[in-house]
Amino acid sequence: MSKGLKVEKEKCIGCQICMLVCSGSHVGKFNPSESRINVEDVYPEPAEYRFNYCIQCDEHPCVEACPVEAIKLDEGLGIYVVDKTLCTACGACVEACPYNGCWLDPTGSYSIKCDLCGGSPQCIEACPRNVIKR
Amino acid sequence: MADGYTGNVLRVDLTNEKISTEPIKREWTKLHIGGKGLGARYLFDELKPGVDPLSPENVLMIWTGPLVGTMVPLTSRYVVVTKSPLTGTFLDSYAGGYFGPELKYAGFDGVIIKGKAKKPVYLWIEDGKAEIRDAKDIWGKDNYKTEELIRKETGEKYARVATTGPAGEKLSLIAGVTSDLTRNAGRGGGGAVFGSKNLKAVAVRGTLGVEVPDIDKFIPMAKEMLLKDVVENPDHAGSITDGTPIIVDMSQNAAILPTRDWTSGEFEDSAGLNSDALKTRVLVRRKACMDCGIACGSWSKVSKGKFKGAATEGPEYETIGICGSNCGIKNIEAVVRFAEDCDRLGLDTMSAGAAVAFAMHLYEKGILTKKDTGGLDLKFGDEDAYAKMPAMIANRKHIGDILADGTKRAAKRIGKGSEKLTLESKGSEYPAYDPRGSIGMAIAYATSDRGADHNRAWPVASDAYGSGDPWSTEGKAATCVEDQTRTSVKWSFIFCDFYAVNFGNMAKYYTAVTGVKADEQYLRSIGRRNWNLVRAFNVREGFSRKDDNLPERMEKEPLPSGKTKGKVVPRADFEKMLSEYYKLWGWDDNGRPTKKSLEEAGLGDIVKKLPYLK
Repeated sequence: MSKGLKVEKEKCIGCQICMLVCSGSHVGKFNPSESRINVEDVYPEPAEYRFNYCIQCDEHPCVEACPVEAIKLDEGLGIYVVDKTLCTACGACVEACPYNGCWLDPTGSYSIKCDLCGGSPQCIEACPRNVIKR
Repeated sequence: MADGYTGNVLRVDLTNEKISTEPIKREWTKLHIGGKGLGARYLFDELKPGVDPLSPENVLMIWTGPLVGTMVPLTSRYVVVTKSPLTGTFLDSYAGGYFGPELKYAGFDGVIIKGKAKKPVYLWIEDGKAEIRDAKDIWGKDNYKTEELIRKETGEKYARVATTGPAGEKLSLIAGVTSDLTRNAGRGGGGAVFGSKNLKAVAVRGTLGVEVPDIDKFIPMAKEMLLKDVVENPDHAGSITDGTPIIVDMSQNAAILPTRDWTSGEFEDSAGLNSDALKTRVLVRRKACMDCGIACGSWSKVSKGKFKGAATEGPEYETIGICGSNCGIKNIEAVVRFAEDCDRLGLDTMSAGAAVAFAMHLYEKGILTKKDTGGLDLKFGDEDAYAKMPAMIANRKHIGDILADGTKRAAKRIGKGSEKLTLESKGSEYPAYDPRGSIGMAIAYATSDRGADHNRAWPVASDAYGSGDPWSTEGKAATCVEDQTRTSVKWSFIFCDFYAVNFGNMAKYYTAVTGVKADEQYLRSIGRRNWNLVRAFNVREGFSRKDDNLPERMEKEPLPSGKTKGKVVPRADFEKMLSEYYKLWGWDDNGRPTKKSLEEAGLGDIVKKLPYLK
């Protein structure tokens, strides 16, 4: 059973408040491109919202791909998180992830992915339609 | 400085192909905030009076505000500010979606564009930098295709694009600016100003972010306000469940739903156009702009019949009223087709629908014939003819060439009594609330700064839709003054229309984002300042009481049925409200701000720039 966020994307309205609160709480400014969850609005066809985020899969190919062991188990949460002080931004994890779950930050300095905000994900609290759950 | 503003303004000279960045004028952000007010200030300062709006001398601006791109709910907007080619007045035309925040994330509060490119170009803005790019391969393309091609060419799948469509390229004065495919800064002809400058689009990608002074305090406040003041706010209930189409039934019940070019306030087939029709027949899903918990937008798609495949965001109430019942169209599917074409071609649905209704009226009267319509049987309610009209207007074919410049100019060219049939103020077509059943709207339309409009004052809320007397003049001027004061603040932040945010909460957000201490009185003084400034701009362009007009039909043609049967807007009532309105603003009886009213509004420094005050 994956430990990551769960999304009912048909309920999504595309407000990207999850991306605002995620970037705000992780990097101290409102900047959707630094959000750990990404919602794409795909219009006119097929008129849907696509979610990209780390689902905390059991196989975690990102961990195996990382050449510097920067993606480490958070024992409290039981999920893998990026230690940005170790990450060299080589992009191997981005390549390895089959779910579009991680990507480099806009300056290309390190890999970013969902860390469940240490246990109380901000996006879950902020979403006005209760789209995101654990 | 972490105060919501990026602090930077991008300046573009298309004639000389020069681009520069300059600091935003801080003394003006304090006085006017952003959006409407700040745009008005820059335009007042930088535009010579009397300039032809379609000449290179006109100034085209895009502004955001300090709250845009933050987590303050319902502020994902930008405004196109310029001198309107449709009305000759100040123009501020707004759109939601995602473009406004993206401009902030790219490091700019606003963009000021002057001159005219030698050949078609688009402006590409990315993280503090900008360049003028060749648009030869996208010129002529519709708005959907333009966005797709620009994303492909820039390699940025998340680029946000504000475009002018084929209508604006051909200088249609009812051409808007379209962003995120379906979001329109529709009114007033901003798309034609793009076209006149050979500017196809402004495209932007930003990853720099926006900062506020104390984000750890700010986020919990923003989350709480989103829940308590937006999602759970009873004033938003209808917007959440239905969006603006809920107004169709309200207007039908009040008998103010424009029908067959304003010959009736009741439409016998309104059930084919109302919110239930939309929800059961075409709605696919609810759609929000960025940072909105309401999601009033409807993504609609026609699944069967002759308009199968047509899709749009909406249609909104104004589009349904003006392009639906006012054209005698009884099926929401046809309106979806019309609205999608307007979005793709870059036409303001309100003015385009009004132009089609007007042409249908003239056709039924025999003033226009099949020779004018390219063979179309342009009767009220003829869906086949109707569906061909947006393209005819945008491409300036047949009667479309005349309608493309709005009904006021069209009537001048057509003649034969058609001049007496137009419903407009300053050349801008009436929105979908008949003043004969909501007399305050006559003053709202007449005194709106960008020509007839419903987004400056909306007295219909308290009379035809509320408990007030729709035909009493009492308090209507005061309602307009109050609404215009409030919207002059709201549109400067820039809040969405559909956030019923009060002054106290606006002040709370303002302080949290900018650090400026503010309360209701403080914001009211900014609202009065911004409205006086815009009025002064228009007076400098030659506008006065004579232009704050009541169309003849409102006065002389009674409505035929229902609650508004036999009703008109009596001229004496109109003039009385107008005089009262000027008095409340402290203007002279000719509708011009006085030295005293300007000084009281904190605009003493512009007095010397207004020749009529010498």
